[in-house]
Amino acid sequence: MSHVVLDRITKRFSGHTALNGVSVHVEQGEMLALLGPSGCGKTTLLRCIAGLTAFDSGRLTIGGADMSGVPVRKRPIGMVFQSYALFPNLTVRGNVAFPLTVRKQDRGRTKERVDEMLALVGLDQLGDRLPNQLSGGQQQRVALARALSPGPEVLLLDEPLSALDAQVRTRLRDEVRRIQHQVGITTVFVTHDQAEALAISDRVAVMNAGDIEQCGPPAEIYTAPSTRFAAGFVGNRNTLELSAVDGRVRAGGAFDVQAPSERVLAMFRPEDVELSRDGEGARATVDVTVFLGATTRVYTQVQVNGHPATVFADISSRAAAGLTPGDEVRMRVADAHVQVFPA
Amino acid sequence: MLTRRLSPRRFLTRWGPALPLLVFTTATLVLPAIMLVYESFALPDGGLGFEHITKVASNPVDRQAIGGSLALGVVQATLATAIGAPAAWLITRMRLGGRAFWLSLMNVASNFAGIGLAFGFVALIGSTGMLTLILKALLGVEGNPFPSTGSFNGMNLVYLYFNVPMFVLLTLPALSVLKNDWQEAAEVCKATRWQFWRYVGIPVLSPFVIAGWLLVFTWTIGVYAVAYAVAASPGSQKLITLQIGTTLETSVFGLGRAAVLSVLLMILAIGATVLYRLCLKRAARWL
Amino acid sequence: MTRRVFLGLLAVYFGLPLLAALLYSVATRWTDTPLPDGYTLSHWINVFAKPDVVGALGRSLLLSAVVVVIEIVLVVPAAYWSVVHNPRIGSMIQTIAVIPFAIPWVVVGAGIQLVTKSVAPQLFGTFWLLAASTAAISFPFMYRAVESSLLAAGAVQLSEAAATCGASPMRTLLKVIVPAIRGGVVSGALLVIATAMNEFALAKILVGVSFETLPLWSARQFVSRTLGDPNALAVVTIFTFGLLFALSALVVWLGRGRVSASMGGNTIS
Repeated sequence: MSHVVLDRITKRFSGHTALNGVSVHVEQGEMLALLGPSGCGKTTLLRCIAGLTAFDSGRLTIGGADMSGVPVRKRPIGMVFQSYALFPNLTVRGNVAFPLTVRKQDRGRTKERVDEMLALVGLDQLGDRLPNQLSGGQQQRVALARALSPGPEVLLLDEPLSALDAQVRTRLRDEVRRIQHQVGITTVFVTHDQAEALAISDRVAVMNAGDIEQCGPPAEIYTAPSTRFAAGFVGNRNTLELSAVDGRVRAGGAFDVQAPSERVLAMFRPEDVELSRDGEGARATVDVTVFLGATTRVYTQVQVNGHPATVFADISSRAAAGLTPGDEVRMRVADAHVQVFPA
Repeated sequence: MLTRRLSPRRFLTRWGPALPLLVFTTATLVLPAIMLVYESFALPDGGLGFEHITKVASNPVDRQAIGGSLALGVVQATLATAIGAPAAWLITRMRLGGRAFWLSLMNVASNFAGIGLAFGFVALIGSTGMLTLILKALLGVEGNPFPSTGSFNGMNLVYLYFNVPMFVLLTLPALSVLKNDWQEAAEVCKATRWQFWRYVGIPVLSPFVIAGWLLVFTWTIGVYAVAYAVAASPGSQKLITLQIGTTLETSVFGLGRAAVLSVLLMILAIGATVLYRLCLKRAARWL
Repeated sequence: MTRRVFLGLLAVYFGLPLLAALLYSVATRWTDTPLPDGYTLSHWINVFAKPDVVGALGRSLLLSAVVVVIEIVLVVPAAYWSVVHNPRIGSMIQTIAVIPFAIPWVVVGAGIQLVTKSVAPQLFGTFWLLAASTAAISFPFMYRAVESSLLAAGAVQLSEAAATCGASPMRTLLKVIVPAIRGGVVSGALLVIATAMNEFALAKILVGVSFETLPLWSARQFVSRTLGDPNALAVVTIFTFGLLFALSALVVWLGRGRVSASMGGNTIS
């Protein structure tokens, strides 16, 4: 049996549906990312697991135990808030010890546990600082240590990295993953940043408008999005609106795939676009090139269904070296890399 | 600054446009304060001494006034805190409509001040006041069950009318430092509501509450208009401000006693204000 | 439940004195019944025909106007210079501003009386002394309002821009800065008017009967209740209250909460 099971959870806020019968499960020791744009219901779902928000219908079990009617304080969870919500009057040690203090654990054991937690998050030197004397990244570590100190079964992270600047963010992201592995704790992680979700979770649940659109390992989410929303939200994609001919879409020879309907949206990643001087594919004109380092992004104009459209391709900078605006090229995408959805 | 010589021209370009205001406020605020201190020690023969101070200390009415003002300040500050702090907390928790209603009510109340307020209370609980008459008609209560507005208890009843709103308006912004997140975080950390208040809520808010207490105290001991009005009846509570007013109006010469009482009020007010600033500084340490 | 009772009692406490005064101002006869025998607007009409009331109201308005003018003239250049050229002016003025904030106005009055009597006794009891003293105790309202609107308007950048266009400091102040901070000046002026209209201690101590302002008139009516006219006093009470409330509401509306922190306090004297 899965460790955390959410079964058809529904939540309505005065008039709008925040969660529309969401079902998802998290395995023991697994890290599940809830990924979606703001307002998709991912934070509401997390708060339902924590018990901070009561859901209207559905069932939630943690470790097999039904959580309905169980108050926040009695749930086997630890949580990191988006704002960290560190208690400003308590030192780092005071914050990390707080869950133990309120449980009236004896001082010796508390001290031991706090030391262990501070070592885990790498803050052993800063135990006596106040939260406002710490950097954002350090505050985030304190919040994590506080969530873990009572040894919860499930760790809930609500956009834990969103308040940090880009560099710290990447480092801390990997750190969170390391700590989660080390502790082996079942974790649910809310984020709107797809790179973050793909980088550190075991599985990603893509949410949209109160529903889970797709749930699977990062690689699957990235390469084989099952819905138009998931395809559009995860990663950069070219989107072409095309008409089917004899049940197939061809895009002027760029690819040749089965069409699910008369009008379709074909989506494909820029790194899957191949450009060549001559060979197979649709005719395209190089518009502008943008040097990105190892790769160069090439914007091209193509004719599809008689309308001009822009397709961008990420190709190795070495291959792009010879391209200048105005060049005529051939553009193609391997059929397997094209996702088509009814328009 | 002391060592660097400033040419007159340079001085004017740095301070010129502010000089009128600086001179004006020095003449009307700073100089009078210094003169009051000097006058408290000035003797009729031109020397300096403690004669005025001993005169005040041995004057039974002045001593009553000092005791009365201090007691009123402490009782008012404490009552305003006891009523205002929970009221402010409830107001921050309200929905928009309720909060707007209570904020305007507090604003209304803080504008109903001075002589008018004294009149309002006499019209309400005086011997022919509305509430007195209602109690008489409905419950057959004879006489006036309320304290005279000039008595210590009566003054407390009247003063709360502006001190509670003042406390609320003053501490409302401070209460918003207590974030909802903290309460939720405490809950997730398995703390009970009481434990949250004990370990986080009260420690974070107490400097603001103490600051509010000090400010109510400062303002209460300095109130004049309302006090003048309610204390018009004989046998009413003596207060420092009233003694100063009476002395200034009745004694043609020898402002010494008024000066001593004024300096006493000044010391109390400045002391409380300094403590108030320290409290706010301490409160800001965590934020 | 406790919460409801608590808030209910509080609302009653804040409502009743105001209601009693209001009823008094429209009661025909009200001696020993719980509510007035009848209602009339005649007091409201009669009061504003009484020469002593009209005179007092006029004097209070005159005082307010003069005080506002004094303060604009003194405060605007000082605040401007402080923000743009010399921040030490600001810190010095903030220090002086603690005096009217903390020290009771009776004490300020006593000090001013003392200084006047020893320096310029002929000023004692005059309108100008009252105007100057009222300006002194209410200047922090104006200063804070002007200073914050100077900062909000970006006075430093505006002055620099004006200087690069060749404008003199005086011209900059009048043509660029003053229009940009009009809102702050108006908010400050409203707070000053509220203070001047309701100020009692200084008027009582420094001028007394020789310049009877509206609060002094109220106090005279109140203290000599048997001789005075309670209905007229009720009308003036409600009128003053309405005026002060309107002024403070206007300040809140103008500042959209920006300057509201500085009000609601010091107008009590």
